[in-house]
Amino acid sequence: MARIGVFVCWCGENIARTVDVAQVAEQAARIPGVRCSLHYKYMCSDPGQAMVREKIAGERLTGVVVASCSPHMHLKTFRRAAAAAGLNPYLVELANIREQCSWVHHDRAAATAKALDIIRMTVEKCKRNHALEPIRVPVTRRALVIGGGVAGIQAALDIADAGYEVVLVEKEPSIGGKMAGLSETFPTLDCSQCILTPRMVEAGQHPRIKLHTYSEVESVDGFVGNFTVTIRNKARYVDIDKCTGCGECWNVCPWKKIPSEFDYGTGFRRAIYIPFPQAVPARPVIDKNHCVKLLKGACGLCAKKCPRDAIRFDDTDRIVEERVGAIVVATGYSLYSIGKEQADPKYRGYGEYGYGAFKDVIDGLQFERLVSASGPTAGELKRPSDGKTPKSVVFISCVGSRDNAKGISYCSKICCMYIAKHTMLYRHKVHDGEAHVFYMDIRAGGKSYDEFVRRAIEQDGAKYHRGRVSKIVEQDGKLIVRGADTLSGTPLTIEADMVVLATAMRPAPGIESLAQKLNIGYDEHGFLLESHPKLRPVETNTAGVFICGAAHGPKDIPESVAQASAAASKVAVLFANQELSREPEIAYINEQTCAACYACYRACPYHAIEKVQLKHKRAARVNPGLCMGCGTCVAVCPSKSADIEGFTEQQIYSMVEALA
Amino acid sequence: MSAEKHERHAFEPKIVAYVCNWCTYLGADLAGTNRLEYPPNVRLIRLPCTGRIDFNLIVKGFEIGADAVLVSGCHPGDCHYTAGNYHARRRWMLFRPLLETLGFDMRRIHFTWISAAEGRKFQQVITEITEATRALGPAGYLSLPNGGKAPAWTPPPPALKPEPSGEEQMRSAAAQLLSSGAVSVVIGYDSHGAPSFARRAEDAERLCFNQQCTANLAVYLKRKEIRALGRIGLVAAPAILRALNVLETESQIDREQIVEIPVGQSSGDPDFAALDSFLRLAPEERMAWWMAEFERCVRCYACRAVCPMCYCERCIAEKNRPQAISPSATLEGNFAWHIARAFHQAGRCVGCGECTRACPAGINLSLLNATLARAAMQQFHYRAGAERGAEPLIGRYSLNDKEDFIR
Repeated sequence: MARIGVFVCWCGENIARTVDVAQVAEQAARIPGVRCSLHYKYMCSDPGQAMVREKIAGERLTGVVVASCSPHMHLKTFRRAAAAAGLNPYLVELANIREQCSWVHHDRAAATAKALDIIRMTVEKCKRNHALEPIRVPVTRRALVIGGGVAGIQAALDIADAGYEVVLVEKEPSIGGKMAGLSETFPTLDCSQCILTPRMVEAGQHPRIKLHTYSEVESVDGFVGNFTVTIRNKARYVDIDKCTGCGECWNVCPWKKIPSEFDYGTGFRRAIYIPFPQAVPARPVIDKNHCVKLLKGACGLCAKKCPRDAIRFDDTDRIVEERVGAIVVATGYSLYSIGKEQADPKYRGYGEYGYGAFKDVIDGLQFERLVSASGPTAGELKRPSDGKTPKSVVFISCVGSRDNAKGISYCSKICCMYIAKHTMLYRHKVHDGEAHVFYMDIRAGGKSYDEFVRRAIEQDGAKYHRGRVSKIVEQDGKLIVRGADTLSGTPLTIEADMVVLATAMRPAPGIESLAQKLNIGYDEHGFLLESHPKLRPVETNTAGVFICGAAHGPKDIPESVAQASAAASKVAVLFANQELSREPEIAYINEQTCAACYACYRACPYHAIEKVQLKHKRAARVNPGLCMGCGTCVAVCPSKSADIEGFTEQQIYSMVEALA
Repeated sequence: MSAEKHERHAFEPKIVAYVCNWCTYLGADLAGTNRLEYPPNVRLIRLPCTGRIDFNLIVKGFEIGADAVLVSGCHPGDCHYTAGNYHARRRWMLFRPLLETLGFDMRRIHFTWISAAEGRKFQQVITEITEATRALGPAGYLSLPNGGKAPAWTPPPPALKPEPSGEEQMRSAAAQLLSSGAVSVVIGYDSHGAPSFARRAEDAERLCFNQQCTANLAVYLKRKEIRALGRIGLVAAPAILRALNVLETESQIDREQIVEIPVGQSSGDPDFAALDSFLRLAPEERMAWWMAEFERCVRCYACRAVCPMCYCERCIAEKNRPQAISPSATLEGNFAWHIARAFHQAGRCVGCGECTRACPAGINLSLLNATLARAAMQQFHYRAGAERGAEPLIGRYSLNDKEDFIR
């Protein structure tokens, strides 16, 4: 027998001015199942809540309906009050007679009638509420971080320092990401490797961080607190435990002219190589596509020279399984490829800039390697075509970015800053060189950022031209850059020795397939989707999976590091308890009546439904650790074996019928 | 009557709105916070997501006397649960044609996307719907002003079906399968078209395939006793082969355990001439016609019994907590049942026509099935069972699903 308590709030004047609260309370008392019905000026106040608790005890209420503001405002308040009085908090409902009644109607009679209808619906619902307990899910307090760039390293260090084990997976042979290849970083002109490599070493040596380098995530199973991840350790052909990184092998390798990935093609490496001297782990890897021993069975000089007998030509990929409770995705970015041909037909290239055809037209990351002290030219800026020092360099911003015709509508955020930086680095190296920048706008919104750009112009003499470049042609070893200066309204042609294109930032290749493995969302460009753009920027809609860094969207190093720490703190919150507590308003399936058609299994946005074999039949079952409570399964179920707590079929139908 | 009194007795429309918790409900709250006034005729029912909103809730709204029903949720791409609204949209794309065939006044059924930031849009939508419904007058669901006189409409003669063929080959194939022990039973037809189970090679001689052999034999495959017989031979006309594809996708049969014995020829694309003719009637005429049809329904559920796709052991019509579909043979209960039966076939009905043939009251269920088959074809280039392994329509969605009917 239901014993519902109805509490009608005046909300000061907010409700009472329009709704006759006394009349409503009096009429609500006559609804079948209502045990008591009263009204009070401020139900959410201490005395108001005390009233609710008193009535729960005194009238032995089985449910509480507070007719007041929106449940989004005070549902939790009254649930806590009920719990304090010993009533299960999920037996409390709010009837919204303020935001959706008194605040939007002026006719007192109509508003009062509507308020009573709303209360009647809510009482009928509440009579059918179930007492629920939060769902406890065990948590494996280990984290997986995918991506070993600055964001991944930061997240791994924070989580490990908080006391939890971290598995850090990186697909390149070394951690460090894009930042390891930069020369100096804005706005401080810190040497990139000088500030990053101590962190890399710390991550490599941290007792709680387990590195899987030259590895990729194969598959992810499970749910928050209980993920099983299979990782492929790609064959290095080097035993990294025996190897000391002495370098005898790569010094003797005869295959010297393989374009280096780390140098973005501006320099070379060997078939057995270490990507850069400060690599972590400082161990080489053999490129199976170029190693003659692996391809044809000849050579093998490195193995003969190795003092530790660490070369393993018979090495194979290994699959490893790791169990973790949370996953942080920090896969970083790649640059939009500027050539005319694009892998994805959604994008278009810039044939008119000659990238790929003209050797001296390069992109930002290639420029970084050419000016980097540890780069292929030892920091001396030399033209890729003839090795001469360029006396005039043109930097072009927004190549791809902010251009709907190319398929990229967004701003890549970092280019205005790194172009200014590039002009400064160039001018510091070539004192009589001319640095020209063609720009649309200057975006320098961070701390000391605008001052940095001004410094490039006012102190270091970079010449900024507001306008775009229509075409670049090659003539007698020079690059003729045809652009416009829109501030003076004239065309502007510059003869340059080198052109650097600030190309759009895109997520790393393969991001869509990884996102699908993790069951997280991504936008049309592949950037990973956050749960809420303002309030939950590092969470995803999949519980237990977090994102940070450039994989989420174009951003610079300070922001990547901040997001990484944010993601780490979310992981720490998840790990704070031995068990995870989840809201119990989730779906459940009556296995006896389930026809095992698996429409629910197909429809569930969270893959939270499992196929189970019972003694005499098959059925579908909801995983309480994964279900987010949308109710899509309920609507597609033909036999209505699926239902959802808090919005059951009985509750909803009783609400509609209350309006008859 | 004084002007005031007249006003008090003037029609006030009753509007039921099913809204999602994260977008439209918050949008309504925002309208409140901004004190944006709108008429007090709407009653909101909060659900976690539009994905939760079953088609039957729309029918229920009219049953309890609503004059208009609104369904509203998050914009595509913004669903709090990532994809619930896509599922809802897909469902409504198929449900609306069914309501149109039944003669519902589609001006009383509204779908919108209203986000949590669109308080103003909520105010506008509610105001417009209320005023539009006021102008339309009371919905009077299942009570037509002219006493429900059905228009005299008869379907045009159906397209000629191809002559049944393949009887000889079927018999020898059946005999072969039975004598070799490859199957323990062959399910086929006798000379009157009644289902016949041949268990010995000699019995194969009695199997026939003629004009009367229309029963959809796939209906037997869900029975535990039949499955327990092991491998089964099945005399399979094209519609039955399509049924096997649908049942396999829905995990109801083990295809390895079934040996198909094809008979007959495909009658090509489904015939929509009757549906086209019917849709030339005005909506009120259609509704009156269906009221007359469903008046005759005695709720024997023969339509359900002969259909292989109706395999739920506890049918929604038998669920009584809540009783979404009244089991009594009232007009309201019959409409609710037939709407559910037809819609549960969306993208699944293989067009065998058995439900219509089996109905003792001669109700033209084919018109409803054809409605959904055509909607599937026009909107998704989809024919149930045409392609083995094809994904079902309900339970999947596309980002390109059309939403011209959603405001």
